[in-house]
Amino acid sequence: MADFHGHLFLRAEARADGRTAIGGQAFRAPFHVSKPYWDEDTRMLLVQVVNPTAGILSGDRLESAVEVAAGAAVLLTTPSASRVFKMREGEANSWQRFTVESGGWLEVLPEPVVPHRGSVFHQRTELVVAEDGAAFYADLLLPGRVAHGEAWEWKKLVLELDVRRGGERLLHERFEQDGAGLRALAALAGAGEGACFGNAVLVVPGLAAETAPAWRDALHALQTDGVWIGASQLRLGGGWSIKFVAPDGVKLKQTLGAIRRELVAVCPHLACDARKL
Amino acid sequence: MLLSSMNSDPATSTDARWLVGLLQAGDSYYPTGAYAHSFGLEGLVQAGMVKDRATLREFIFLSVLPALRQAELPLAAHAYAALEPGAPDWAKVGELCVLSHALKSAKEARSATENIGRQRGELTAALHGHPLAKEYLQRAAVGGWPFSSAISAALEGRVLGAPREAVLAGVMYSALGGLLAASMKIMRIGQNASQSLLTEALSKAPEVIAAAVNVPVEEIGWFNPWLDIAAARHETADGRMFIS
Repeated sequence: MADFHGHLFLRAEARADGRTAIGGQAFRAPFHVSKPYWDEDTRMLLVQVVNPTAGILSGDRLESAVEVAAGAAVLLTTPSASRVFKMREGEANSWQRFTVESGGWLEVLPEPVVPHRGSVFHQRTELVVAEDGAAFYADLLLPGRVAHGEAWEWKKLVLELDVRRGGERLLHERFEQDGAGLRALAALAGAGEGACFGNAVLVVPGLAAETAPAWRDALHALQTDGVWIGASQLRLGGGWSIKFVAPDGVKLKQTLGAIRRELVAVCPHLACDARKL
Repeated sequence: MLLSSMNSDPATSTDARWLVGLLQAGDSYYPTGAYAHSFGLEGLVQAGMVKDRATLREFIFLSVLPALRQAELPLAAHAYAALEPGAPDWAKVGELCVLSHALKSAKEARSATENIGRQRGELTAALHGHPLAKEYLQRAAVGGWPFSSAISAALEGRVLGAPREAVLAGVMYSALGGLLAASMKIMRIGQNASQSLLTEALSKAPEVIAAAVNVPVEEIGWFNPWLDIAAARHETADGRMFIS
């Protein structure tokens, strides 16, 4: 099996008429970028990044850099889950960097990562936001191919998330677990074999002053029917961490949808429909 | 009693001075304010995840020990190295202070390490009058560094002249002891049951510490999603006994 060293570069810029357009792009397999769609209602450019291969395989090295220039607004998503396949040896790596310049808005809303039995996957994400830029980033994780009776059987999974705003480091998370470890934690929480995870970060100017916003209560009220959810302010008041766990993938995506709807009041761009079934 | 002299030389590690110093710092009588925190346990009890000795034991082995091994102890180990009294690497200390807070998404967890770290750092300077501790406080104030209980433990260890492994053992004892002391107030668990859990968890200290000192700075970090969620919800709980 050939190793992939794929890369993606995208730069979104605001045009004179206020619309966002792709000002520069470069990509190599397994990345492919679909034709962007301009959402007039929310003034957002919707960009789908497609991996036309079966998924992520041993030896894959994926690097992506997405830049949102001043005044531009982008929703970046993927059409399908990122399957990380079984690896007899080696590992796969994905390094992704998202940069939002002054007055820009970026939402990163990929479909879930699904690590298969025996996979080793390391994803490193950097989110760098200007002082008056804004972003919403959501990472979803499924426990495996649950419908096939396969859950928590990956060998090693590392998900790193580093968030900076105005040059200040707000968050540096490293989630490193083998499948067995997370299965045991899920069992302790009574979450069951299908437990799925969501990790979202909201960085918006002006959130520092509101240490107890009403929308947090609304998010916490989503904790029903096996869903766990908690929102807490990041250091320096620079943003919010929103973590959630759901009993299955459907409930996870419903919860993410509900989170986005609750946050529309503070981030109108979150009203943008990702145009997926 | 002053445990070290008014100079930058650490106390020798061949006598008992650092040992009694670490015993003093690890005692609940030492006023760091740690007694006011459950380090997320109260939130997990409120959420029903931890409810008895068996589930508390699971939580300690599945969450507390990994977090110590991958986050708090490596932070303390790197801070210990950076605080070498003869040539402290202050830039590294500042980076570690920021990292210590960035690792914690839950505000209460940051407040806990901030308050305990600040108190312990100031106590170290006040009790020992050591130039290293004084300079640390000055640089933290100028640089706006957040405080960290792990980094202040490393600072105090350096001031006392304690070896690295002893300092890390102290950090581990404080974390486990504080959590289990809180458990007796939150749950139906007695002193003997709590002490037996502490003994079992502390028996892992050699392997946990040995692994922790090999964690590079770029690999520091570990989190339990349920703990972070419970800590976030604890901020708005209707009733609570502990600050965190």
